[in-house]
Amino acid sequence: MSDARSLLSDRAAELRLAFDRSFAEARPPDPSPSENLLAIRLGSEPYALRLSEIAGLFVGQKITRLPSRIPALLGIAGFRGTILPVYDLHVLLGHPPAETMRWLVTDAGASVAFAFAAMDGHIRVSRDAIVASERSGNSRAHVREFARTPELVRAIVHLPSVFDAIRDQVSENTKKEER
Amino acid sequence: MFGSWTFGKKLAAGFGLAALVLLTIAVVAYRSTTDLIESNELVSHSYEFRAKLAALLSDQTDAETGTRGYIITGIDSFLEPYQAALGEVNKHFEEVQALASDNPDQQRRLAAMQPLSTAKLAHHKQVIELRKSEGLESAAKLVATGKAKTIMDQMRAIATEADREERNLLAIRSAEAKSNAQWTLAIILWGGLAGVVTVAAIGWLITRSLTRQIGTAVGQVQNSSAELQAAANQQATGSREQATATSEITTTISELLATSRQIAESAQRVAQIAEQTAGNARSGHGTVDLAQDSIAGIRRQVDQIVAHMLELGKKSQQIGAVLDIVFELAEQTNILAINATIEAAGAGESGKRFAVVADEIRKLADRVGGSTKEIRALIDDVRSAVNTTVMATETGSKAVDVGSRQFGEVATGFRQIAELVTTTTDAAREIELSTRQQSTAVEQVNVAIANVAQASKETETSAGQTLQTASQLATLSKDLLRIIRPQVAA
Repeated sequence: MSDARSLLSDRAAELRLAFDRSFAEARPPDPSPSENLLAIRLGSEPYALRLSEIAGLFVGQKITRLPSRIPALLGIAGFRGTILPVYDLHVLLGHPPAETMRWLVTDAGASVAFAFAAMDGHIRVSRDAIVASERSGNSRAHVREFARTPELVRAIVHLPSVFDAIRDQVSENTKKEER
Repeated sequence: MFGSWTFGKKLAAGFGLAALVLLTIAVVAYRSTTDLIESNELVSHSYEFRAKLAALLSDQTDAETGTRGYIITGIDSFLEPYQAALGEVNKHFEEVQALASDNPDQQRRLAAMQPLSTAKLAHHKQVIELRKSEGLESAAKLVATGKAKTIMDQMRAIATEADREERNLLAIRSAEAKSNAQWTLAIILWGGLAGVVTVAAIGWLITRSLTRQIGTAVGQVQNSSAELQAAANQQATGSREQATATSEITTTISELLATSRQIAESAQRVAQIAEQTAGNARSGHGTVDLAQDSIAGIRRQVDQIVAHMLELGKKSQQIGAVLDIVFELAEQTNILAINATIEAAGAGESGKRFAVVADEIRKLADRVGGSTKEIRALIDDVRSAVNTTVMATETGSKAVDVGSRQFGEVATGFRQIAELVTTTTDAAREIELSTRQQSTAVEQVNVAIANVAQASKETETSAGQTLQTASQLATLSKDLLRIIRPQVAA
């Protein structure tokens, strides 16, 4: 019991020291251009989203269900005073829908939101570690690049492509409804 | 009627009849002989009377002879016959009177003769005294008077008359004696013949009757002896079988006796072991009580441990709740950092410094999140350990409860064991006592069986003797039958 308490105290002191050191040390030079990615998990597959393609990350937002012919549309939710449609990223990328959608991101244009079940965290990957899907020999829908990390290789979801697909599907449904 | 009489009755009747006949003959013969003897005595009486009467005359003659001799000679020695006659004449006269006591006529004659005899003797005396005093002549003159001769003649006449009558009586008595003798001979002869015939007839009748009766009885005896032989054989066989069975029973009872003794010894050992067991059970009961006290102490300690562990679990849950808040704060911080990074990227060059801060905040949030995860893992480990400990403790508590209950049951069991062992001890002692009594009884039975065996052997011996006796009886009955009915026996 005393060992656990000392371990926790040491851990807290280490965190405090690291946090303080980050402000005390000089800013290191940027050795190479990098890309900020949000590591997520759709089903058992690791994916990544470009932070530059999203407007914000949210957790635990309440989703109001709406009836729709679009299977991926979960409903609508409020984001910083704006109501946006929420789509299931699992369904959009061809995975079975998850039971709980805890995580949500809004696209860069802040017009739609994507929900997913699990988030691994924020990772920074060198641009050299990102390869196109043609070069990797692995082609998936809405995936044009792959980010290679020391642990694994993540497919980078191209959210503008996803947004385009949604827009196409919506317009198609609108046309069907108009007909 | 005669056929139904018994042996004794028949023999008594036969011999009684024969005795009666013989008695009749004897009585008649006796009376006849008595009459004959009386007749002979009367004849002898008559002869004796005549002899005594002659002797009386002879005394008078002797006195007269002595007197005459003295008168003539004057010599005293010639007086000896006279003096002898003086001594004898009264004696003879009394004897004759006694012999004539049954005859009045003769008594009358003797009475007439007695004064004559006295006068004659007195005359002789007078003559003798006169011879002595005056001499021969005086005496001769007195004799010449003839007085003596007269008296003597009178006496002879009376004696002759008495002798005649006595001779007549003698003839009558002799005839009567002869008649009696003939009659006696006839009775002896014919009575003997009649008695022989009667005895022979009775003997024939008795023999005939007894032969028939004895023959029938002997036949029955033969049958009975045959049956007795068969019965004796059966009895001998039964006795042998009984002796064999008794021997087997004796062997079995001996084994039973040995078994009873072994049971008694075993019961005694059981009683001893039961007593030792009772002592051990009492000791075990004390040990179990001590163990129960120890278990109660353990139970209290375990309860305190459980309480402490549950308190620790609650504290861990509270820590977990706080940690959830910390984790959520870290997560929110991370989200804020990511969003700050996004915003900084949107701010262009001016946002880079902000992006660095956001990145540091994100890293710190990541580390905090990692630390919270580690702490969560530690707390989970602690809670798991606490739960495991609580469960183990509860299991231990339950085990202690079970153990305590089992110890209680063991204590109860020890008490029951002690009680049962006491009961077992009593029962074993009763068994021992009963078995010893049984052994004594079996010994008595064994003795009784031995007596029975001895009795069986004696019975067998007796049956053999009975068989031998029956055989002898059969032989005897055959011999008897051969004796009484030769034709049948042949």
